[in-house]
Parts: sequence; C-alpha cells; structure tokens
Amino acid sequence: MRRWGWGSLVLTIGGSVLVWAVLAAASLCVGSSGDLGWPGRQVYEIRSEWVYMASLVGAALAAAGVVYQAILRNPLADPYLLGISSGASLFAYLWRFPVVAGVLGVLSTSSGRALSQQAFAFAGAMVAVAVVFTLASSRGRLEPITLLLVGVIVNAVNGSIFLLISELAKDLPNSGGPMTFLVGRIQTNLTPAQEWAAAWVIGVGWAVLLYLSGELSVAVLGTAEAEALGVRIQRLRWIGLIVASLVTASAVAISGPIGFVGLVCPHLARLMVGTDHRKVFPVATGLGAGLLAVADAGSRFMARETMAGTWPAVGVVTGLVGGPFFLALLWRTRLSGIEE
Amino acid sequence: MEAKGLTFAYGRRSVLREVNVSLWPGEVVALLGPNGSGKSTLIKVLLGHLHAAGQVSWEAKPLAEWTRRRLARRVAYLAQSPAWDGEQRVGEVLRLGRAPYWTAFGIESETDIQVIRAVAEMLGLANLLGRRMDEISGGQRQRVFLGRCLAQQPAAMLLDEPNTFLDLKHQVELCRLLRRLAKDDGVAVLMASHDLNLAGAFADRVVLLADGKVVADGPVREVMRAEVLAGVYGVGMEVIERPGGGAVVVPRVDGSDSPFS
Repeated sequence: MRRWGWGSLVLTIGGSVLVWAVLAAASLCVGSSGDLGWPGRQVYEIRSEWVYMASLVGAALAAAGVVYQAILRNPLADPYLLGISSGASLFAYLWRFPVVAGVLGVLSTSSGRALSQQAFAFAGAMVAVAVVFTLASSRGRLEPITLLLVGVIVNAVNGSIFLLISELAKDLPNSGGPMTFLVGRIQTNLTPAQEWAAAWVIGVGWAVLLYLSGELSVAVLGTAEAEALGVRIQRLRWIGLIVASLVTASAVAISGPIGFVGLVCPHLARLMVGTDHRKVFPVATGLGAGLLAVADAGSRFMARETMAGTWPAVGVVTGLVGGPFFLALLWRTRLSGIEE
Repeated sequence: MEAKGLTFAYGRRSVLREVNVSLWPGEVVALLGPNGSGKSTLIKVLLGHLHAAGQVSWEAKPLAEWTRRRLARRVAYLAQSPAWDGEQRVGEVLRLGRAPYWTAFGIESETDIQVIRAVAEMLGLANLLGRRMDEISGGQRQRVFLGRCLAQQPAAMLLDEPNTFLDLKHQVELCRLLRRLAKDDGVAVLMASHDLNLAGAFADRVVLLADGKVVADGPVREVMRAEVLAGVYGVGMEVIERPGGGAVVVPRVDGSDSPFS
C-alpha cells in the first residue's frame, strides 16, 4: 500500500494531463474537410481553438459529474441529466436579450460582459438545482431515479421555453445557431474575454473540488458514517453542489448543454484507477477533456458527409455514445439495486 | 463519556426519556433492549448525529465544543449495516478510517499507512488488501468495517449490533477482540446487541433500555436477572448460572408464563 502524498497527487495529475494530451493531439489531426493528419501552421491555429475549447468544457463537465455522483450517492448523476445544464443554458440565452444587455450596459468592458454571462448561467444552474431538488425530495430524501426523472423533465421544459422565446423574438442575436442551446456545440466565435472568463471560473472551481476530493470518498459512505469519520457532510454536500454547478454553468455558458460527458467519464476513471476520489477526480477530468475533444473531432469529420459543409453539434455525438452507456448503466444498477 | 438527561423524539414519538449513561476507558458495556427501545438512537445522540435535549460530554468536554474531525480521532462508530461498494478494495476501505487525520487534498502521512498495516495485520486482513469488497465473505467484510474504525485509533468505540451478519464463530472472535482492545489499549467499548448471552459473557457492564428509558445499569450479574429481563422483553426468562461465573439466559418457550396456560 502506497502513501498518498504530494508526489502521488502530482503524478496522478501529470498522468491525467498526458491522457488528455494524447487524445487532444489525435483530435488536432482531424479536419472539417475530412482530411486527416497533423495540420499545417495556419490550420493549426483554427483547429487548436476547437480542441482547447472542447477540452475545457469536457474537463468541467466530467469534474462536475464526479462530484454529483459522490455527493448524491447516485451513479447515474450527470450535470445534463440533473437538468442543471439546461437551466444554465436558458439563462445564458436570456442574457443575450437587448433588455438584459441594456441593464448590463454598465458593464461595458468585454471582461465585465463575459463575467456577467457567466453569472447569468450560474444563476440559471442554481434555479434548476432548486427546482429539481425540491421536486425530487420527499421527506428529506432524494430517490435516485426520481431525481433524474425530474431533471429530464426540467430539461424538456427549459427546451420548450427556449424554443418559444426564440420563435417570438426572431431577431435575437444568436451565437452558434439556435440549436446550440438545446444540443451543445463547441463554439469558436467567442470573444477572448468569454473564453478566459470560463477558463478562470472552471480552473478555480476545479481546484476547490480537488481540495475536497478526499472527503468525497468518505461522502459516498452516507451521512452517519461520513460524520463519524470527521466529515461535515451537509456542508460538504452544499459546497460540492454549488461549486460543481458553478463549473457546469461556466462550461454551458460557452458551449450549451452537452450531455453524458459527466456521466461516462467518472465511470471510465473508476474502471481505470478504482474508487478513491483522490485519483478518480483528476483522471476523470483528463478523460473528459480528451474525450470531448475527440467527440468534437468526430462531429467535425462528419462534415464531409453533409451537403452544406456544416457538421452536427458535438452534443449529438455525446448523446449517441452516452445514451446507450446510460441505459447499460441503468440496467446494471437496477439488477444490483441502488441503496437508499 | 458521560451523558445526562437525554431526551429525544422523532416528531411526536418519544424515543429517549431522561437517559443517563456513562462510558469509561477500558470497559466493555453492552447496550441491551428490545427492538425500538432506542439503542440505535442513543448511539446516534452520543455521536452528535442527532441532537437531543440533555448533555453529552466526551472527555469532560461538551459535545458542542468538539469539531467533527477531532471527535472522529477519539470516537469510532460502526453502523448497523455499513454502506459498501462491491468495486471498492479492502485497502481503500481501511484507508478511509484515516480520513480524520488527512490534510488538504487528502494527503496522508507515513503514520497513516503504518496504522493501516498494523490494523490489517491484527484483523488478519493483510492478505486481502487488494481484494474487492464483493469478493470476500460477510464475516471478512465486517472485519474490514471494524478495521476502518480501529484505523481511527479511537479511545472509544460505539458499535450498533456488530453481530447481526456474523456466524457464531465470528461473533465470538469479534467479542474477544473488543475485550482485548479494552484490556490492552484501554479502549472504551459500547456495543448495542440483541444477544443476551454473548453480552453476558463478554461485557463488564450492561445497560438495559426499554421504551427509551434506562431500566437497569450495572454489572452483568445484577442486571441479568430473570424478573428484570422478563419485564423488559415481555417473555418469561430463566437465568442459569454458569459454573465458571457468568450466566446464560433462556426464554421460556414452553409457555408456562403465558396467561393462556
């Protein structure tokens, strides 16, 4: 048995970065014209932005997924399935309204605007959290499947609200097409301020969650046992829920709600390194970053097959892969039964 | 540990009424009583998981002045049916017992690893550290949970029916181990149990709960009397003194205590 010291932490993070680097390098070799191979200098400029943005978003969603699964003691939890992503997405869309923009006119600098968009998405995420958790809890308990059911319904309602608004106000400035708010897409028409704001929020939130990663392993045991092991479990759950939702919202603000990344990556990480969250958290983050870059490259590759030279949103790819994964997991969990 | 005047209710249903208990280093105390007498609730109140009226103090310091982390280094708790994940390795479970000693980011010290090794050695788990929790027997699993408690290096242990899933041999082994910990290391042990005989054989003292009240509290010989037990459990009892000391309790199953006989 090896001691978990600073060296182990640095090595694990290093290994996770390596996993990401390999997957990201592979994604760089896929172009939207269907050509494969290491890009030239100019093409690299373009493709690398796709890869970096996808990596940032994937890392955020996977990290949030690990935390939701631990604090809710629910192996099926995911920022998208919990309805949190769609809440953040809807609010990030409302932020684009001229009325809202006018009020926010005081924040005339580009970084101020970018941060206000982040704040809006976070508010949306927290509204979704409040709605979903209130509706899903009965007598202080959260039934795992009910929680997801409510989350998916909240997704559907948010989607309808969005479609209604976008029909009523056709002249709204859209970014990345209206579908972006329903099925997430990696965008490259963001301002540098938007990209940096998201990167900072996700970075800081991630560091906070890494700090708590040891306690997350204990949280999985349940309230009484976690408390007996010295963890202030209610406080941990609140901090985890809020920070994971902040990280989710930050990613959703720049990409829309991309599903299943936060579900699949924690499970893959557990298969690789076991159940200790001190390892699972960084590894899942690396996997999330790398795999979403690969998924995005996959969607880009499909551009060859389409008439208009456009390509499906990356959310389509994650849905096609992650959906069956969810069903397999659901089937397995139903066989063994979820506790509580 | 001393607790005075503990009163607790779930909603309107009162569970504990003016309970006074104490626990001293080096003693094994059996907490007995029928289902619903408040044994589990009492343990949760003593740990501060439930807040009851009255006062609980550990090492002469009121519960409110303890942080969760500090208390976890002094007092360990074994739940009635501990949560477990089949994919988890035995070593990973034992490690969690050191969580109260971890620093930021869950960083461990050399001591943490030494303690886990020693505990694994003592419980005969050293060869199982790499096994998955669903690959070992129920008895072994219970030992792993006990090991997690011991890894906390507690001065006191509160166990909620640790014998529930164990066969006779493992029950006796567990009780022997608890006795040894109390004698050699001065650990205070409070064990809720259904098994009157095992408690009678291993405990220094018995606290008998009925309907949320302490009915009797004293040495085994004083508490384990037919009339006391019959009143609490509602079944006629016969206490047979054993030649070597201690006593065996048998319920009268012939119905001679029944009003219909």
